Amino acid sequence: MLSARWPKLAPYVFISPFFIIFLIFGAFPIVFSGAASLLDWQGVTMGQFIGFQNYLNLFRDNDFRQAVVNTVYLLALSGPFTIGGGLILAVLLNSQLLRFRGAFRTIYYLPMAVSLVVAGLAFAMVLNKPFGLVNDLIVRQFLHSEPIDFLTSPTLAIPTLTLLIIWRYIGNDLVIMLAGLQSIPADLYEASRIDGAGAVQTFLYITLPQMVPIILFDAILTTVNTFNMFAEPYILFGTEGGVNQSALTTGLLVYRVSFRFFKFGYGAAMAYVIGVVIFGLSLLQLRLGRRD
Amino acid sequence: MRRKVSLSQVVLHAVVGIGAISMLIPLYWTVVSAFKPLTEIMTVPVTFIPLHPTLENFAGLLTQTLFARSMLNSIVIALANVILQVFFCSLAGFAFSKYRFRGRDALFTLVLGTVMIPQYVTLIPNYVVMGKIGWLDTWAPLIVPGIANAFGIFWMRQYIATVPDEFLDAARIDGAGEFGAFWRIVVPVIKPGLVTLALFIFLTSWNEFLLPLVYLRTRELYTVQLILANIFRVQYKVNYHWVMAASILVTLPIGVLFATLQKQFISGLTLGGLKG
Repeated sequence: MLSARWPKLAPYVFISPFFIIFLIFGAFPIVFSGAASLLDWQGVTMGQFIGFQNYLNLFRDNDFRQAVVNTVYLLALSGPFTIGGGLILAVLLNSQLLRFRGAFRTIYYLPMAVSLVVAGLAFAMVLNKPFGLVNDLIVRQFLHSEPIDFLTSPTLAIPTLTLLIIWRYIGNDLVIMLAGLQSIPADLYEASRIDGAGAVQTFLYITLPQMVPIILFDAILTTVNTFNMFAEPYILFGTEGGVNQSALTTGLLVYRVSFRFFKFGYGAAMAYVIGVVIFGLSLLQLRLGRRD
Repeated sequence: MRRKVSLSQVVLHAVVGIGAISMLIPLYWTVVSAFKPLTEIMTVPVTFIPLHPTLENFAGLLTQTLFARSMLNSIVIALANVILQVFFCSLAGFAFSKYRFRGRDALFTLVLGTVMIPQYVTLIPNYVVMGKIGWLDTWAPLIVPGIANAFGIFWMRQYIATVPDEFLDAARIDGAGEFGAFWRIVVPVIKPGLVTLALFIFLTSWNEFLLPLVYLRTRELYTVQLILANIFRVQYKVNYHWVMAASILVTLPIGVLFATLQKQFISGLTLGGLKG
């Protein structure tokens, strides 16, 4: 009797598309990837079982080491600006003394609305040597010095990437921090005002301690995003990661190993190691999100 | 009543204002460069307003590159993503929100858990799978896996929870089936939520870069983001004038969508947020 059973079965049918698609393109690939990482798989032939050799090779791989170092460097350089800067910006944009608050919030969020490719190209344009806006107007006409090699100097590759990251993502951090600020009880600020605390003291003794869970949440989000990053370094520096691979990040390397050199087994091992780190951080993030 | 303007207020506006100007500069530069001839783009000293404003860049971009074709491709792919994901997410959201069934909470937790799977782990095996079923160099890898959209299901579940159960009971008494209750009763009242989700999906699909880069080979199939990167990095070398014009045309549809659907979008966000 279909008609009697249907109301009981209906919810399972309604949610089944998700699980069917997920099994094929989500769950199966995870298992498959784990298996592939144990194979000497290059190009069309699946190759032989080589155990954990791919994982051991990772530790001897100079490219992998360089990509991890670059990514951590990028994170260390950009994190304080996006997270700390995002928090300070949120406090400023939350201030009753500021006019046009809505307009300012929109402006700071605007770069998030353009695609990563467009954002990267805009930066390549502004930072061009010699006819980019920064090099001509600020460096040559204002500072009277030589044009800066933002895009081809190995030492400046990560700092340049950092500029792009700050510009593109600070609006996102701002939104997270603004949401966090709204949850701080108003009577705390009232008490601090009655005690005669200044703006800096209020920030250090009220805002900062109250925002710790949000800051941690944002820090993990930033870490995950940095290890996942691909389009930004690709647009600015290409698959090779620029001169001397100075902008080679983990995302770029996984792509290059897998889809340029077609070393699927090795690429899978690399993706697994990075994936486990990201997954662990996401779990931690979920915990922090719950507690809040 | 005029309030006294304090020094700290002046400093505050200066700091926030300078920051805002630096946020706008790269965008402004893209826009003005799109209207400059290539020779003017590559000249120092730089010009803030085009000396010789021109629409030639747009004309050249649309006639001499595959950009127009890629706009069409991206629209088709994004619409396919929107229709499939909005339908399946709201259907699943409806089931999770309005039915009590064995294993519901565990299954919902599983759905949410899938968002933590890093993209790179599934990228390589998916490439191999797509190769086996003959989907390399087609749009299918950019559309089909997206149906398993955990965020969309979460979003629609929150939203459909606001629909009173009495509506559904009344529909069932009137003889509407389970799907009929969803299609005729639920869908019409959750329109703002559907529009908001549709916008998110469109934006994600429109801006996606890694997947088309990995899967598409034939240049006639390229998406806008891919063509844009291609014009800049590979194909044409120094073509800043086309790149800047293309950047504007790529961003335009997003701006138009947000502007026209802003009202529904914001009401969708606030209601979804309230029930969150």
